[in-house]
Amino acid sequence: MERSHVLVIGGGLIGCATAWHLARAGAAVTLVEAGEINAGASGQNAGSLHFQMERRFLENGAALADQAQRIVALNRLAIQEWRGIEADLGADLHVSQRGGLMVAETAEQVTLLEDKTRREQAEGLGTVMLDGDTARALCPALGDTVLAASHLADEGHADPRTVTPAFARAAQAAGATLAMRTRVRALARRASGGFDATLEDADGVRTLHASQMLVAAGAWTPAVCALANLHMPLFPVALLMNATERTGPLLPQLIQHVGRRLSMKQAFAGNVLIGGGWPSLLAQKPGGGFDLDAKATILPAARSANLRAAIDIVPAVGALNLIRSWTGITTISADQLPIVGEVSRVPGFFVAAGGSAFTLGPSFARLLAEAIGGGRAAALDVVSPDRFNHLNSFMG
Amino acid sequence: MAEPHDLAIVGGGPAGQAAALALAGLGLRIAVVDEQARPGGQILRQPPASFSVANWLPGSDHHWLKDQAARFTALTEVEWIGRHSVIEIARTGGSFALLAEGPDGIRPIAAHRVLIAGGCQDLAVPVPGWTLPGVYAAGGIQAFLKSQRFIPGDRIVLAGTHPLQLLIAAQIVAAGGSVAAVLFAQKRGAMIGAMIARPWIAARHVLTLRTAAAATLALKRAGVPVRFGARLEAIGGVDAVTGVRAGGPAIACDTVGLCYGFVPQSILPRMAGAAMRPAGHAGGWAAVHDAWMRASIPGLCVAGETTGVAGAPAAAAGGTIAGLGIARDLALLDPAEADRRAAPVRAHHARLLGFAALLEDLADPRGFLPTLGDDTIVCRCEDVNLGALVPEFGGSANGIKLATRCGMGPCQGRNCEPSLLRLMADAGRPGDPGFTQRFPARPVPLADLADPA
Amino acid sequence: MRILSDVVRGAAVTLRVDGAAVPAFEGETVATAMMAAGKGVFRRDGRGAPRGLYCNMGSCGECMVTVAGRRVRACLTEVAGGMEIATDG
Repeated sequence: MERSHVLVIGGGLIGCATAWHLARAGAAVTLVEAGEINAGASGQNAGSLHFQMERRFLENGAALADQAQRIVALNRLAIQEWRGIEADLGADLHVSQRGGLMVAETAEQVTLLEDKTRREQAEGLGTVMLDGDTARALCPALGDTVLAASHLADEGHADPRTVTPAFARAAQAAGATLAMRTRVRALARRASGGFDATLEDADGVRTLHASQMLVAAGAWTPAVCALANLHMPLFPVALLMNATERTGPLLPQLIQHVGRRLSMKQAFAGNVLIGGGWPSLLAQKPGGGFDLDAKATILPAARSANLRAAIDIVPAVGALNLIRSWTGITTISADQLPIVGEVSRVPGFFVAAGGSAFTLGPSFARLLAEAIGGGRAAALDVVSPDRFNHLNSFMG
Repeated sequence: MAEPHDLAIVGGGPAGQAAALALAGLGLRIAVVDEQARPGGQILRQPPASFSVANWLPGSDHHWLKDQAARFTALTEVEWIGRHSVIEIARTGGSFALLAEGPDGIRPIAAHRVLIAGGCQDLAVPVPGWTLPGVYAAGGIQAFLKSQRFIPGDRIVLAGTHPLQLLIAAQIVAAGGSVAAVLFAQKRGAMIGAMIARPWIAARHVLTLRTAAAATLALKRAGVPVRFGARLEAIGGVDAVTGVRAGGPAIACDTVGLCYGFVPQSILPRMAGAAMRPAGHAGGWAAVHDAWMRASIPGLCVAGETTGVAGAPAAAAGGTIAGLGIARDLALLDPAEADRRAAPVRAHHARLLGFAALLEDLADPRGFLPTLGDDTIVCRCEDVNLGALVPEFGGSANGIKLATRCGMGPCQGRNCEPSLLRLMADAGRPGDPGFTQRFPARPVPLADLADPA
Repeated sequence: MRILSDVVRGAAVTLRVDGAAVPAFEGETVATAMMAAGKGVFRRDGRGAPRGLYCNMGSCGECMVTVAGRRVRACLTEVAGGMEIATDG
């Protein structure tokens, strides 16, 4: 039987980055990935570095907003993480932190922005409110309907296609074992501690024993947790992304909207990436349930509304050609906040999923490695899986 | 929303026209969508209606094409939708929803059945210097000649493996242009050998071979050197082409036409989920079909180069069979009658496919492609060179695209995918199914797709 | 160069390409008119190198120009008198 200190399941950003931190600290790490590194949401997302509170946390009442406000401390950590990442990895990840503008077009939306900004400032984030003209002075491509915007100088974007591979290479260089096209077929907890994982690849089946494990498998996280007889309230969502052809410099900042689903940026190569949480249709399995291995279907109404929002806020993009639309499958948790940390009822079992995992992924990875190594990692308390302990009371 | 068409044909070239003609008089409502303004496809790039060209495309080869185009244009059951690109094909219940994009925006086309006859394109072949202004796909030069009555350079070199370059060179010379050389990478003996290997096919297609022979003679008379065993090494120049090297001293020129063969346009059948197979020596993907040209998706037929590059006459035969098959499926033609009408077309089709196979062997670019350096661009759109691709060959084509941006440009992989798959196969990774085909099939303005303001 | 024998072209028109006057004939594509006028560079690539038209059949995307606020393929777009065309330089 193979042995490892830590088994990481999932070759996305969090899995590869955590493997790197652990390997650097001297742990024996094995990472298994069912397909290829970065093939899931980690490579399909639009690369936003969004440290302002997301629109979706503001539209469901004060209680959720209060809860989401507690994430802001993690956002502040993430700002620093992204500022240092390219030097840490010795790689050009096209990290751009030239500011973010969350816009409002109506008085009601302006009020939402003001509330959000107050909450963020209370948590030490340097967000400031700008009127429309000031926003347009910073970002001349913004349209006339923008009444106001909240600005955070540290927001921006990076290149999802290169970030995770860079972590993977660094992890391997630090001594981690990365196994592609390897599936986990079974997970058993040993009474004496640790986990026995049954792994399958083209060469056959083998078992690996690890003292600790991390499930960072994106939309497949609940299924992998189920192998360990644990419920993990994460639900797949398929989101739409659109990319225009490349164009000259148009948008230095990350643009988001407080009242509409819109997120847009101009990637380093010059393409404008347009998204913002528009839904796509998950494929279904014949016997029922979502088929996460099949492509989600683009909903034309979502696409046309997404593009309308983009053109309303940045009119110049109307003249650009769309060259591809695609869907990525991410997860949302039962309370919209990520689930990251140790499942206390199963010591040594760590999980990380539930969204925001590009922006917060490198921070989560560093904190997870700290926790796995026995450190306190208090910053993860706010996203602890233990808030869902009640779901596993009857799971033995 | 208007009543769906009975049939939507993508492509108004020889195959699409033949299918429509086979369905003439049966009372069907047929839409034919094409990117050009006028019917004809690439083989018959008709000059604009505002030109009048005396003696356009002389020669028996094209007479039937012009005749077919004229009969097609006269069909009353056909709604001709020119200047439109099909950007999506999707199944909706038992029929199809196409989205076409044209000068006035998006136009949905609903149809119970679809025939994809979208033609082929030149195989894009990377060679050091090929991104200089003045380098064209040879078919592009021919289109300038035929359709625009324009010669795109003062001193032209044609290079590659496909005998079509003899015809193009002769057309340039006949139009008053100057060809510095026609360069075949294969040895002459190898080409003759390919013909000797299939003597009966060569003999039956004497007329077609005669066209090539006539072209060669015309070039000889004009003093244009035709060289064999002259593999293209590099195209030289700083901001534009100044010459080529193909073994021996550089040949001065300002224009290069690359002629290594053709690949089917396969994005639409792949987007529809149809089963595909490797198309031939030049690469690319052909749609799999049955004896009535039905693809693997119910209601979808394929014809012409979409099913494998075999030339215009074979495309027309395939289109006719597809049309007869649709009439048969709709019980507008009883099976015995359909079989009776199809029989001679099938025989003709089979002979033509035999010749196409011979031509494919003659023109086989494998083993004759230019050698690439690490800094030779493979993906023109995104400037991805060989050196950036090689380290990623352990992954799938989709993975390589993600990691290097190869295939992420406006050509949407049309030019780089065959080269990438060939390079992967050479590196020990054959059998990759290629890039996932995503919406849209052609670039389309955001404003056309967005909700109204 | 335009072939002169055996062809009667449509009406003569004038286009503007990046501000410069370019003669053309009705029925020609924008690509033909530009190339006949010696304007064979349609854009600069990632290294700043000039790029010209390549496939002339709408497949390669090298000949994209902006006409009336739309990005179109010059090789498939017919000219019209007074048309304003902008390349990517």
